[in-house]
Formats: sequence, structure tokens, C-alpha cells
Amino acid sequence: MFGRMLIANRGEIALRIIRACHELGIETVCVFSEEDRGADYLTLADQTICIGGPAPRDSYLKSDRIIAAAEVARVDAIHPGYGFLAESAQFAEKCRACNIEFVGPTAEAMAQLGNKAEARKLAKKSKVPIVPGIEVLPENEEELLAEVGKIGFPLMIKAVAGGGGRGMRIVHSKGHFKAMLNQASQEALGAFSDATLYIEKFIENPRHVEVQIIADNHGNVRYLGERDCTVQRRYQKLMEESPSPAIDSRTRSSLCNYAVKLAKSASYSSAGTVEFLIDGKGKPYFIEVNARIQVEHPVTEETTGIDLISEQIRVAAGEEVSFSQRSIQPKGHAIECRINAEDPAEKFRPCPGLIERFRPPGGPGVRVDTHAYQGYRISPRYDSLLAKLIVHRATRDEAISTMRRCLREFEIAPIKTTIPFFLKVLEHEDFISGKFDTGFVVRAFENTA
Amino acid sequence: MLDIDKIQRLIRMMVENDLVEVSLRDGEEEVNLRRPGGTVVQQVAAPVAAPMLPPQALEAPPPAAASQPQTDDKEADLVTIDSPMVGTFYTASDPDSPALVTVGSSVSPGTLICIVEAMKVFNEIKAEVAGVIEKILVKNEQAVEFGQPLFAVRPS
Repeated sequence: MFGRMLIANRGEIALRIIRACHELGIETVCVFSEEDRGADYLTLADQTICIGGPAPRDSYLKSDRIIAAAEVARVDAIHPGYGFLAESAQFAEKCRACNIEFVGPTAEAMAQLGNKAEARKLAKKSKVPIVPGIEVLPENEEELLAEVGKIGFPLMIKAVAGGGGRGMRIVHSKGHFKAMLNQASQEALGAFSDATLYIEKFIENPRHVEVQIIADNHGNVRYLGERDCTVQRRYQKLMEESPSPAIDSRTRSSLCNYAVKLAKSASYSSAGTVEFLIDGKGKPYFIEVNARIQVEHPVTEETTGIDLISEQIRVAAGEEVSFSQRSIQPKGHAIECRINAEDPAEKFRPCPGLIERFRPPGGPGVRVDTHAYQGYRISPRYDSLLAKLIVHRATRDEAISTMRRCLREFEIAPIKTTIPFFLKVLEHEDFISGKFDTGFVVRAFENTA
Repeated sequence: MLDIDKIQRLIRMMVENDLVEVSLRDGEEEVNLRRPGGTVVQQVAAPVAAPMLPPQALEAPPPAAASQPQTDDKEADLVTIDSPMVGTFYTASDPDSPALVTVGSSVSPGTLICIVEAMKVFNEIKAEVAGVIEKILVKNEQAVEFGQPLFAVRPS
């Protein structure tokens, strides 16, 4: 087991990792930017190292400085959290080249699954159903248009280096195709330094269901059930729940088996999430793998009782996963609300600033993962996630009821948060019935006068 | 009339011996010099309930001088040269060479003042200011973080 770990992240996930490390008896070294200096969660780390200025590109994305910090602090491993360098194959490789373990998959697995077109090819080989599409766009325009014709409209143009809902364009008709292709290419180049695109048939108003997996370096791959992340806005997840109210046990079984197959074919290790779209007929399609721990991992921790960060660290240290597949029997129903510092009344405009009043909820089955507190100043430099509110009860109805109570108890002032928005979602008949798709949020709350 | 040379010698002595405060009285002359930073040596009394133990001397961890309040008028004019990177601080280009600068060295923006090593790369750090080194705030082979003050310079 590692003696000392460097946490190359900030905010709530840095705090989460510090906690897991301390339970494993691992000393923690947390990096921070000048903007995060003085943040309360840093006092829980055994050591902290300033790695740069406020902008992420001057600090949390500076891989050389992070590795330098790892060296001077003499750590055994680096945990990248999510975002920032968590899915940088180059960073993972650099760490290992410097004899510092990287808590995540190998650079090869990351590169293979990180390229969305390559991941599709892998899925095809493993006989995992994918959305009909084109992985490599023919250079010849006529050929391209012929293949596009076979896919049919509407279709989605996506960046191979993209993911997480970014770098995508919907094309509704042949007339717009060429223009959109050029636009998408430019955007991909700017955002991901890679203009390469691929195409998928557009699935109208699907549900988004993902499977949590964890694999070790001994060939063991475990699945830990699914999460339904259909409550989204512009491809950004707002709420997640498990189990998914949209799938039956047969589909659940299929998704989990597909996830394991894909992980094994990529020789995947560490935690990961395999994402699927479910169409209106209940048919699943693999879309991408997130080769990292995710924001919404607590939902699965609650239903399965498994500490995912701890498992991640264990497998990175060379141990086998600590549980058998048979022992995983998800219980009850868990829901997570991502409390963001955004104003839902103003198109979710980010609201940085000082938190003058902060009173989180509590009680049985209530978990709050947050780095925020009364007196904390939310920076405009980083994402707006303030707190994750997770509720775990015996049934979905009870979870909804408890979540409502918690949202009413949760006081954050004077900055605006998405709490009022979640209260509306939990009162909406579509959400309560469990019958909603990814178009739900926009239809229910944004297309009103 | 205060002797500037004497005061400068006192300052150098304080730095070399890492002293925080020196008070001198010579007849009608009185000099009080206080230096932000430096090592504080404390005597700690043994707890009453425990068996009698000799008092232990404690050393406080080296503070970052820039974060200390500037109590002395002279200190207020100093600027710090901060580390632009994370790594290990070296006073010389290699173990056999003398220190690149010492207290009292004159520097100009291009003067090489120290090395910060990271990932086996030895980065030369230049002064970026013109003036005289008044304090060296870190020790040879000490780990430094981004923004950590390395030198205090009296700008010219």
C-alpha cells in the first residue's frame, strides 16, 4: 500500500480523496493554486504545495509542476480526481516514467478508450451494440455523403478527442451537413487540439444510463450496477440515481455484461464508467467510456456499500478488488443532486462570490460531499459545483421525499444555487413517474414563456 | 550619530546567525533591529503532572518572510524574489561551486541567483530585479513551492 499520495485536484473531490487516503493510512499531499490558498479542505491534508496561479492552465493543468511537487514531497502515487489531468494519457505516462504510480488506468487503455472513434471500434469487435455511425470519415466528399445517406438524418457530428457532452453538433438535413462539418472541425481543433470527427445517428430523446466498473491488474473486472443520468441540461448532468427507473432487469444484465466485456477487451484497470443511450424502444447503445472516477460516484457507493476511491487506490497499489461479483447486491434507491453555484432563473448563470450562510441538511440516509462552508469564497475560475447532496433510502419514493426535505433544509446564501430548480424537478410528474428522457429539463423548464 | 557601517554589520550578523531581534545600547545610542522571519527558539516548561523533565528547545518551521508583518521601516522597502516553480532549491550550480549569491551581493535582472531543480532538470533562476540581496529565505536543498519567497532584495 502507498505511504504517501499526492492529490492533483481541488475542491470536493480533493477532500474526498484525502478522506479515503486517511482511512487507508496514507499520508496526503494536496496541491493548490493561489486562488485556492486558505481553503478549509487543505487543512486536512498532511502537506500542501502551491503549484501556480489561479487559472487552471497555470496550476492544475501544469503537469510538470505537479510531478515536481510529487517528487519533492516524495509521494508514491498521484490521484488525479476527475477533470483536469484525470484523462490525460500523457500525464499518466509521465507519472509512471518518474516512478510515481497514477491512480487510474494505463496510458494505453486511456488512449484507446479516450479516443471515442477507437472506443466504438473496440465495442464493435466485442459485439457491444453501438449507435449506427461512421468512425473514419472518407476524405472523398461523394463517399462521405453516400455513407451519411446510409446513416440517415438527423445525425450527430462528434469530436474523437471530445467527450462529456462537448464538441457535438446535431445535423437535421443534408443541406446543413457540410457547413456543420466545417464548424465542428474548427471547434474540435480549438477545444481539443484535434479536428478529427466521427458521426453517429442521432437518437432522439434517449435516456442516459451508465455502468460503474472497477478492475484490477489481476484480470478481475467488477460491475457495480448502473446510474441513470437522464436529468441533463446541454449534455451536463444535473441529477443521477440508481437503480435506473427506465430499464428492466434483463437490460440491466445486458448493460453490465457489455461493460465488463469492453473493459476486458481494453485491458482496463481502475474505476471507470461505461455510458449507454437507451432509445424510445428500450434498446441500448454504447456511446463512450469515462476512464476516471466520476462526480456521481457516491450514488453507487451508497447503493453498494463499496468505497470506490478506496478500491481505486487499492488496485493502483497492486491489490485485487476487495469484493466478489456475487457480493454486490445493490440495495435501496439513491439520488444525487449536484448543487451548483448557478442561478436557474437566469439560464443557470454562474454565481461566484462569498457564502455568508451555509447550512447543509442531515439525517438518516443523507450524505453531503462538499468543500464549501460558511465564509468560503466561490471562485469564478473553476467549475460551479458547490456540493453533492446524496440521499439513500429503501425505495425511490422515499428517496424523493427525503431529497425534498433536504433541499428545503439546505441553506446557502446569498449566492444563488440550483436548489430551487431541483425542488421543481422533484415535484414534476414526469420525474416522479420515472418516465422522462434527456429532453425533460429543457421541455419542462426552459420552453416556457 | 548612528554608525551605518555598524548597523549593516549587525544586520549581517543577524542574518548569518538567523536572529530575530537584536537590541544594543551603547551609552546614549540605542539600536533595535527586528527581522521578520528567522528561527524562534522557545523554552517549553514540562507539564505539571508529568515527571520532571529538562526544558526542551523547540524550533518553529521556517516561515515565508513575505507573509510576516513588516514591523521595521527598513523591511518595508524590501521586495521578494519568489519561486516560479515547484522543486528543490540550490544555492550553487553544483555541489563543488560556491553560492551564486550571498547576503550583500548586488544583482541585476539577468543575474543568476539560484537553481531550482525539478524532475532532474536544473532551472536557472534569474533575479528579475536590480538591487542588493538582504536575506536568503530558504536553505540549500530545501523543497520550494510555486510563489515561495526565496530572497529579499533591497531594490536600487
